[in-house]
Amino acid sequence: MNLRKRWVTLVAVAFTLVAAACGSTASNNNSSSQTGTLTVWLMNGSAPQSIVDATNTDFKAKYPNVTVKVEIQQWSDVTTKLDTAFQGSNPPDVMELGNTLVAKYAAAGALLDITGKKTGFDNSATWLQSLTDSCTQGGKLYCVPYYAGSRAIIYRKDFFASAGVAPPDSMDALLTIGQKLMTAHASDPNFSALYFPGKYWYAALPFVWDFGGDIATQSGGKWSGTLDQPSSQQGLTTLQNIVSKLSRADKTGDEAKQDAVFAQGHVAMIIANGWEVGVILDPKAGNPALKDQLGAFPIPSHNAGSTAPVFLGGSDLGISAKSKHQDLAQAWIATLTGNKHMAEMATVGGVIPNTTSMLNLGTGINTTFYNAAKNSKFVPNSQNWASVESANVLPDMLVKIFTKQQDIQTATTAASNRITTILNGGG
Amino acid sequence: MGLAIATPDQRPALFLRFAQLVRRRLFPYALITPSVAVIAGILAFPLGMLVWISLQHYGLRELIQHQGEWVGLGNYQAILADPLFRQVIFRSLAFTFACVALTVGLSTLIALLLLKVRRAVRVIVMSALVFVWATPVVVTVDIWQWMFDYEFGVINYLLTQLHLGNFIHHNWFDNPLQGWTVFVVIVVWGAIPFVTITVYAGLLQVPGELLDAAQVDGAGGWQRFRFVTAPMLKPIFLIVICLSTIWDFGVFNQIYILLNQRPSSDYYTIAIYSYRESFGVTQYGLGAAIAVLLVLVLIVVTLFYVRETVRQAEIA
Repeated sequence: MNLRKRWVTLVAVAFTLVAAACGSTASNNNSSSQTGTLTVWLMNGSAPQSIVDATNTDFKAKYPNVTVKVEIQQWSDVTTKLDTAFQGSNPPDVMELGNTLVAKYAAAGALLDITGKKTGFDNSATWLQSLTDSCTQGGKLYCVPYYAGSRAIIYRKDFFASAGVAPPDSMDALLTIGQKLMTAHASDPNFSALYFPGKYWYAALPFVWDFGGDIATQSGGKWSGTLDQPSSQQGLTTLQNIVSKLSRADKTGDEAKQDAVFAQGHVAMIIANGWEVGVILDPKAGNPALKDQLGAFPIPSHNAGSTAPVFLGGSDLGISAKSKHQDLAQAWIATLTGNKHMAEMATVGGVIPNTTSMLNLGTGINTTFYNAAKNSKFVPNSQNWASVESANVLPDMLVKIFTKQQDIQTATTAASNRITTILNGGG
Repeated sequence: MGLAIATPDQRPALFLRFAQLVRRRLFPYALITPSVAVIAGILAFPLGMLVWISLQHYGLRELIQHQGEWVGLGNYQAILADPLFRQVIFRSLAFTFACVALTVGLSTLIALLLLKVRRAVRVIVMSALVFVWATPVVVTVDIWQWMFDYEFGVINYLLTQLHLGNFIHHNWFDNPLQGWTVFVVIVVWGAIPFVTITVYAGLLQVPGELLDAAQVDGAGGWQRFRFVTAPMLKPIFLIVICLSTIWDFGVFNQIYILLNQRPSSDYYTIAIYSYRESFGVTQYGLGAAIAVLLVLVLIVVTLFYVRETVRQAEIA
């Protein structure tokens, strides 16, 4: 070895050492040398703890020197927390975002553009279309679809049997069987045939959509609110009639405690997500004895024999643009959304997986919820939609309608105007 | 120039005069410098930032990039044109007036009662007051929330048991007027201890011989309070009214927590409205402008208080 060659070797070795010392910021392939702490924000109730633990174990096997800190956030105040975190210099590396929130943060430049990395994730070719759409803005991909949820009606088989009714096939039939249930339980002052809290806007949308109404439509780059259109109002009138006759739920309350109330036994039906079955049967918060009494059917359409379109909720996983561990963040997301853990999300977590290739994993009561996702709709895909949610426009409107503080015409006109303003970028 | 022609033996005298000047003129400023620095740090700087942001379009993108877009008085124009803002202002003022009047009225009555009762009773009442005062707001609001709960509330149960009507599944927040009455009760309940104890302390300072003299002159109980006690307590009333106004006008916790952090626009106070615009709709510029208006209203109240205090001092 001549002197020159030795020098080159020495320099190469030195470079390797320096690169290794830089740890996770360097893009080398030796994953075991990566160090650092990866902060992950997941939402309350998304992945069961066992899946989070298993994901971390698999991740640790590949990156033994990286610490993963998973922090669980609450839906009620997460936007405030996210705003604050993104504003700072150290936001979490990975965060779960409700699919209605992504557009806002992507437009503000808070999320990393991962268009080029798409094929590195399992099943990216068969991701659920509406979740992929929620991650896409201006042709670029800003997040990875995580899971979806769609609502159906969970009911008590024993109550239905004793009242002599069967799952309805139209909105009229829903009202009819509900009234029979109310009569059968007339001695219980707390009984609701359909428990419907006043602020539950996710469950109100199917009624609006079923009559051909919508929240807002876009034409020529301008949004206009359409809740004040006759078709939307027709849906809300039908819903108001059902709620006033079948529900004793708090007309100003939200759906947060509906599973606990259902488990207490004074409720025959709730409009709920598939995973709420688990909450109802939970030994601590619910009542495991109801296991064999639970059934589910899709929200019926006003046209007998069809089902109403439901809101497709769900979550995506994004990476902060300011993250110092972007490659680690990507690797962690790939582990959680990979074939192994995604299948567990469906079978253990009871949610709809992020890929159409796994839609056959729904079993038993879950099949109803999986099928409901096939006839689903989404809120206006606008960066300003999150502000409509934060401003409580829909819950406020519903409360005014259900409590009869305002008639449907007045309430929908006010809400529709506010939505038009906010979606077009005004406060 | 005097300094140029100064002879050496004049120098010490000059230096002494200079030192005296420094001590008399600058020393006081040096003394208050630390306080001024602290006040500037914790009050003036954030307030300045608030005003600065209120003059900009400051959405999420601007927040992340730490760079707003100058819009002058645009945010203020937008707010003043918003009918909701007028409603909120009117509601906040009415709410503040009701709360302050009830707080001061009830507290004064309790304080007067405390003068009359036996020592043991006084200790019990005082302890109860201090207990209310010492309980954190979040905890008390949670308790009130249980009491007024729609499904399992004690209040609904009690009113029904007392045959005052059917209150099963009565929703206290359906009707905003009823809902606001509940909030007045909660806020007044929380404010009474401080005001009562302050007024009671003031009552102890009213000289007994003045009251005796008034009685000898034939003044009744109301007249003694109206013409002897009340004028002597004026500075105390002034400060509790002023402080209560500031607190009640900016009320936030009670309403925000009790309504599960999602109050409908019927329950917006000016503070909640500002918070919603900032953190809810991510319009930090608008939110800041509302907060500035809130500060301005409170400055007017405070100026009134300061003027009255100065006047009192001049009379004394």
